[in-house]
Amino acid sequence: MSKAMICSCEDVTVDDVRHAVSRGFCDVESVKRYTGFGTGICQGKSCLAAVASLLEQEKALKPPAVVPFTPRPPLYPTELRVLATAPVDESQPPVGGVPQEVDAFPPALRPEAPLPAKAKVVIIGGGIMGLALAYNLAREGETDVVVLERGYLCAGASGRNGGGVRMQWGTPALVELARRSIDLMKGFARELGINVWLRQGGYLFLAKTKPVAQRLDRNAALHNKFGVPTRIISPDEAREIVPGLTLKDCLTASFNPEDGVIFPWPFLWGYAQGCKKKGVRVETYTDVTGFETSGGQVRKVKTTRGDIACDTVVLAAGAWSPEVAKLVGVPLPNEPHRHEILSTEPLKPFLGPLVSVLDTGLYFSQSMRGEIVGGMGDPKEPAGLNMGSTLRFVSRFARALMEQMPQVGHVKVLRQWAGCYDVTPDNNPILGRTPGLDNLLQMSGFVGHGFMMAPAVAERMAKWMATGESDELFTRFNLRRFSEGTLEREDMIIG
Amino acid sequence: MRRLPDASPRGRAITVDLEGESIPAIEGEPVACSLIAADEQVLARSVKYHRPRSPYCFAAACSHCLMRVDGQPNVYTCRTPARDGMRLERQNAYPSAKVDVFETIDWFFPRGLDHHEMFAGVPVAEQVMAKVARQLAGLGLLPKEPAPTPPPARTLRTRVAVVGGGAAGLAAARVLADRGVPFLLFERDGHLGGRLAHGAPEADAPAVPEDSTFPKGSILTRAPVLGLYDDEDGRFLAVGAWEPEGPRLLKVYAERFLLAPGGHPPMVPFENNDLPGVYSGRAASLLLRRYDVAPEVAALVGWGPELHALANLMQERGVKVVAVVDLKAAPPSGAHPTAVQGSEPKAHGLRRVGAFSYTAKDGGRKKVDCDAVLVSVPVSPSFELARQGGAKVTFDAGRGLFVVEADADGRTQARDVFAAGDLTGGGTAKEAGAAGRRAAEALVGGLS
Repeated sequence: MSKAMICSCEDVTVDDVRHAVSRGFCDVESVKRYTGFGTGICQGKSCLAAVASLLEQEKALKPPAVVPFTPRPPLYPTELRVLATAPVDESQPPVGGVPQEVDAFPPALRPEAPLPAKAKVVIIGGGIMGLALAYNLAREGETDVVVLERGYLCAGASGRNGGGVRMQWGTPALVELARRSIDLMKGFARELGINVWLRQGGYLFLAKTKPVAQRLDRNAALHNKFGVPTRIISPDEAREIVPGLTLKDCLTASFNPEDGVIFPWPFLWGYAQGCKKKGVRVETYTDVTGFETSGGQVRKVKTTRGDIACDTVVLAAGAWSPEVAKLVGVPLPNEPHRHEILSTEPLKPFLGPLVSVLDTGLYFSQSMRGEIVGGMGDPKEPAGLNMGSTLRFVSRFARALMEQMPQVGHVKVLRQWAGCYDVTPDNNPILGRTPGLDNLLQMSGFVGHGFMMAPAVAERMAKWMATGESDELFTRFNLRRFSEGTLEREDMIIG
Repeated sequence: MRRLPDASPRGRAITVDLEGESIPAIEGEPVACSLIAADEQVLARSVKYHRPRSPYCFAAACSHCLMRVDGQPNVYTCRTPARDGMRLERQNAYPSAKVDVFETIDWFFPRGLDHHEMFAGVPVAEQVMAKVARQLAGLGLLPKEPAPTPPPARTLRTRVAVVGGGAAGLAAARVLADRGVPFLLFERDGHLGGRLAHGAPEADAPAVPEDSTFPKGSILTRAPVLGLYDDEDGRFLAVGAWEPEGPRLLKVYAERFLLAPGGHPPMVPFENNDLPGVYSGRAASLLLRRYDVAPEVAALVGWGPELHALANLMQERGVKVVAVVDLKAAPPSGAHPTAVQGSEPKAHGLRRVGAFSYTAKDGGRKKVDCDAVLVSVPVSPSFELARQGGAKVTFDAGRGLFVVEADADGRTQARDVFAAGDLTGGGTAKEAGAAGRRAAEALVGGLS
């Protein structure tokens, strides 16, 4: 059948690119994500210039706004066993990272249309938190909402995570939120008309030390109390779930078959499209530069495209939240911590669950497209906004993964990237009103698991904002707790 | 494609195993080249529509030649030297790549398949689709056995790391060698020269120097650079060097990085541009010049000086050139007699190219029979390492390419990164060589 291929690795046609543009995805990074061009084996070598030219010729982009998508290492597909040989000094913290992309958006991408002069609610951050909240507010009847995003949709952690969704948490609040979120994810396509590819293959946690094993035991009991069917299983049973897994030093494992993986990007597009249909404005490539306050209230949000007067401001900027809060004089205890991740060549299905070794922070799963997607926390990672990639990470990850699954040695890495966890002192989020600035609402501090919490958190937050009915979530996780000292620590953080 | 009757013997005749069939091959040449010379065109099926594919770029910049080789998935057969008894299997096809039932997906969705919205929210259908999609997704199978441990990584330190052994990189290396500046040059291919060795011939092109004319050990071939990283000890290249004992990772710290990796042969979007028998111009010149493999009857399409030089090269070696369609300009003087300016190119054929059609600028639709369509356009600069190193990359709307911003001496926004050759703006091989020399001289001046 006659087709004009523009990216032959992923079978993306010229018409697919035009379709993406008709859906409002015009910049190279967004077209890449929406169509999948440049995400295959060649990583854009043969197609990027052709797509860029098409976008420019068809006036989707002006020439200065045509910037290449971030070229991620490795330049050629490289076997895990080769990367594993890179020397790593575990006693030292990681230094550097390439390419630098934290401040990489050219002003030419900024929309020219004016922002509204005022809005009831301004949401800062167009990640899944902000977009899900905006959509839920609109559902509650509040459509005078503007979402501000500094880059393209998916530029932050919402577009960079591994897509894991699980109910296996250590505190009742998170278990319940996660369970509700997964329910909402199941109905997402019906409500918002876009597939999110939820695959409930389970989460398999492995414990290699006694304290971790005890933690899994304790948490499984908690899960069962809330109706989550987590089972503590033996290493042999774990091997039945994942054939080929080596379980050397593994003491015990926990498995919940209802956990799974999703494809993160369509959530953002679906919520954003849902917002726009209901009249909510989603403004990309728009930076917040400051605030105007008086009488203990935020009056205006200042941006690179003008000021917006507003009644309520929601700070949902993930790892960028402390920086933004600083502009209004609010110190947040969150710290950004880089987490690196990689994706391999796509293979036919061989791995059902997401597997995580809680002791080392290793996790890996197989995406719907067949890639092994995985990461591993680095205990020496310093705080700071850094989304660069290191050889150290691929080497550490490759070693840890090959130890767990030796037959992956020949599997080739296609790309590595990084995102930032938004880490709070007690690993729990910051939600609700800001002491001293009553109409500034916090919605951050999700420590790498915000994506899977967002649908449920946003639903409750929108209801709380729209109806004024009290909800214990916004007192329990209020910013006040850090000064009042009532901290309840979450202990099921990967990495 | 076929091996030319006047082919000079270039290696030992061997056989490789293609799904149980013995195929003649030449030891050491890219196994994809041996396969297409033996008229095995379809080496793969595409990931979504299961379209038949044959090698396109011969530069590890597409996915058309990926096969399972000796049990390893997704191996670039355009980069894999043929070995006697090598086992080759096509991937992503059932029951075989020649007759693949999933090809029907391509026919059922003539206007494409929108995986975002298809069956979204339709009860049952949505779940069924997710299950089917998972089984259909993925290329290749997880290897059954653990991989042998490769040789240990090696850390090297040098003053200048040169990436690319083409016209620009070699000219730069010559300057460094003459000045006695320690350097290491990394070339992805098994041979030096880049387009000098395997592109369409150019007037005034410099000769490719022998390795032996450079300081011993300073030139590494079959050494693709994987990334320009940094760590506590400074900036370094990660290199995947192919050594006899296996692939070895090199960490190469340098004070300056001179990047001249050339470019990738791009896809040019037109109807059926992925049909087996459509080759990039660089692939066609490489196959002809290095392995004496060429089509019998070829149509050429594209733009730029390489297009017309390639047409003449094909003609000289006995290939019947039936059309040369320049998509951007009137053919220059000295162009092939069939050369015209045209538009709307299209390849025809069910599982391989049988014809090529286009709209001539001064005339209607024309169609010619051929067994190959050669797509020759300027390469897309390989700016990835430069960008990783902090250089600025901008879009050249006139040429439709991304280029690295650099001054006349190759200085980029990043103090230790210099760029030359295709990376900064193309031109002839002679010009690339001059740019390489200037960059090397500028860079040496900055070294204390």
